[in-house]
Amino acid sequence: MSAITAILVATLLGQAYYSPEEAQLLFQQANESYLKQDYAAAREGYEKLLSRGFGGPDIHYNLGTTYLSQGDLGRAVLAFERSRRAGGEGPDLDANMSMARAQQLDKVVGAAPEEPFVQRVVSATSGNLVAWLFLGTWLAGFAFLLLFRVLRPGNRAWAAVVGVLLLAASVPSGALLAAHVWVHETLHEAVVLAPTLRAREFPKEDAKVAFEVHPGLKVRVMEETGRYVRIRLPNGLEGWAEREGVAEI
Amino acid sequence: MRRTGSGHAALAALALLLVAMPAWASIEFYQTTDRTEVGTEDVFQLTVVVVDPPDNAQVQFPSPEDFEVLSSSQSTQRSIEMSGGGPPVIQTVRKHVLLMRANRPGTLTIPPAVLTADGRTRRTEPIKMTVRRGHVEPPRSQASRQPPDPFRNFPGGPFGRMPDPFAGEENEEPDDRRQQEDVRIPRGDSDLFLRATVDKKQVYVGEQVTLSLYIYSRVDLSSVDAVTMPKLEGFWSEDVESPTQLTGEQRVVNGIPYRTYLLRRRALFPVKSGTLSVTAAEADITTGFLFAGHRVHRVSNALEVEVKPLPPGGPKGVSSAQVGQWDLSLEVSQTRVELGQPVTVKVILEGAGNVKNVTPPRLEVPPALKVYDPTTTDKVMPDKWRIQGRRVQEYLVMAQRTGTFTLPALEFPYFDPRTGRYEVARTEPVELTVEPGAGGVSSSPATAAPQHVTDAAAEQKNVLTASGLRTLRYQARFEEPAAAVWQRPFFVPVVLSPLGLMLLLGLVGLVRGRLSNPDEGSRNRQRAKAARKRLAEAEKLREGSSSAFYGEVEKAVLNFLEARLHAPVGGLTRDALDAKLTAAGVDAERRQRVRFVLEACDAGRFAPGAEAAARERILDDAAAVMEGWDK
Repeated sequence: MSAITAILVATLLGQAYYSPEEAQLLFQQANESYLKQDYAAAREGYEKLLSRGFGGPDIHYNLGTTYLSQGDLGRAVLAFERSRRAGGEGPDLDANMSMARAQQLDKVVGAAPEEPFVQRVVSATSGNLVAWLFLGTWLAGFAFLLLFRVLRPGNRAWAAVVGVLLLAASVPSGALLAAHVWVHETLHEAVVLAPTLRAREFPKEDAKVAFEVHPGLKVRVMEETGRYVRIRLPNGLEGWAEREGVAEI
Repeated sequence: MRRTGSGHAALAALALLLVAMPAWASIEFYQTTDRTEVGTEDVFQLTVVVVDPPDNAQVQFPSPEDFEVLSSSQSTQRSIEMSGGGPPVIQTVRKHVLLMRANRPGTLTIPPAVLTADGRTRRTEPIKMTVRRGHVEPPRSQASRQPPDPFRNFPGGPFGRMPDPFAGEENEEPDDRRQQEDVRIPRGDSDLFLRATVDKKQVYVGEQVTLSLYIYSRVDLSSVDAVTMPKLEGFWSEDVESPTQLTGEQRVVNGIPYRTYLLRRRALFPVKSGTLSVTAAEADITTGFLFAGHRVHRVSNALEVEVKPLPPGGPKGVSSAQVGQWDLSLEVSQTRVELGQPVTVKVILEGAGNVKNVTPPRLEVPPALKVYDPTTTDKVMPDKWRIQGRRVQEYLVMAQRTGTFTLPALEFPYFDPRTGRYEVARTEPVELTVEPGAGGVSSSPATAAPQHVTDAAAEQKNVLTASGLRTLRYQARFEEPAAAVWQRPFFVPVVLSPLGLMLLLGLVGLVRGRLSNPDEGSRNRQRAKAARKRLAEAEKLREGSSSAFYGEVEKAVLNFLEARLHAPVGGLTRDALDAKLTAAGVDAERRQRVRFVLEACDAGRFAPGAEAAARERILDDAAAVMEGWDK
């Protein structure tokens, strides 16, 4: 890399806003750092882009791959999960995610208890699709009722019928949307980052340790109190762990 | 009578005396010690020398109570000097060597030795010894001081000026001989004792110290039943020699001949600095043969080794194992390889030092090459007790794509205790060319890592499996962190907008109704509107009974007329209605149409069976009556 490029990159790093071209340049620079096995510089570049609002599945994927190359299993899994949540997909993401999970120290044994019906329905449907469906039926229903009022008597009954049908259809979609909102607001998934995270029976420092988990394990954060969060493992095991030990996806 | 006989005898006796006098006068008789200051644990050497002793000379050695005589030996040397035309000169030197040890500290005196011959007696000078408690290190000058050369009186004698053929032998003697210098004979167990020695008392961290454990014996040994080696805390130890059979070797310790047997020899590598202790070793030894033997327990001496830390200024991360003399090399099985074929890379660290504990530098390869965990093999070849050998780390390298790659140079910094400096062993970079396989297998950018297979057929097929870390994405699609649709700002307002609109319309209608005056005109308009609504209801009866249909149409028209004429019209005759319409300024055509509709309704109610077309016409005419009234 020439000195001019280095100065340009350094200047870009100091700016608060990047143009898309500058962001692409930084992205390529971080990729080159990765190829030179300068993982710290690569990670810094990706995180800088994320902090400036240049997110997306590709950035998260590259960040996760860099963390995995560094052996930071927890942050690697976190970045891959965020990539997936941002809509990322592909065989490379699946492969690296599988590799990261294969390196995890924890093996969760036992079947998970069946999730409530609402959560299963929510996980089986797309929140955005449900939101658009509800919005469409709701607005269209009212539009047809308005049309019924505008039309002359005699040939406007159909508008009333269609309007009522659409409003009726908006009821289940609205309920499903409400379920999505409830799950989104109350259910949080996180990844363990601490080298050894002790889960206690109560949110107190002197409480008995129920179990320990290690970086890369995906858990569910059920509630928070003080500096503790109640985490639930995929097999239903629960305990109170320090908040700093996990990072929400 | 002459006493000639006695006279001859006296003459002969005088002649003999004259002959004997010079011989007695030439006798030298003296005693010396190899040192004058000793410890109670030290053995020193007393040498009594008689030069040209008479044949019947008897030497009585001093036997003081303050000293113990450990051993004594006698040797005689005879030399002949040929000078000029004279007769040869023969000199005889008899030397008595006594190994002694003081029994108590203090200033003690070794009494004179006594030489008796032909009824005459000669005495040496007594020697004063300063005896201290314990062990006294002999001063080098004193320790190396030799007894007076008995041939010192030979002018230009055969050995006087000849160079000592063994003068340099001391420098070439092996290390174990040097180790023996430290041997002290214990009091009480002088016939059989155990001794541990080290070749160096002061070393650097990581530098080798050799510990040897010997049996010193002046009795016959049968077997060694058990050996307990010393505790070696702070050392990494390696076995150098561990004999399975007792092999004796003759050695002289402080002049006393011993037979020594090596029990163990270990190389010690200190891993920390300071004064490290080597505790005493123990052994159970059986002496004698068969039923005459008995078992004794012996404990060796403890040792201390002064370990110096590595000097400052060394490379970062140099461990205690990186001490010695090392060479680093790199061996690659092939520098040109087809994709999918493995390359074996050996990192070889060879030299003297702690071979089994040293770690060669790790092989670093470009990301396009996958390197598997190495296998390590050691080969230790001790040389004169010095641990040396080679440690080889063998890597299996598999290329993940074609191209030319460089295995970078490796460096191994170490500390050389001989020079007292840090050195660096280096290798050269190696270029590796990876070509497409014979079967046309192209490189896979998806970083497919080849699987190490042993099957010959599979090796030829260049098996690729999808394991290993996938590479980065080189194009990024930047996106803001996407919020759910319901979280976007527009969502809630848009959802609530229809409700708001309906509410707004209702409110507007309510306000308008409150604000408007319910005058007669508006009431009439409302009534006209109700009449139109009734007519709309009549439309639904088109298929029903005639009376209901026409009655409804008539009521609608009459209600409309009442609303427009502001007067009731029910019960009026057709003419009266026509007059009212005329008075209200209704044109003739509309009046005619009103009359027609009302009469058609009357006819339809009372003459059922009217056709559907007629009903349709009545409806149209009634609507026509109501339309355009306000114009």
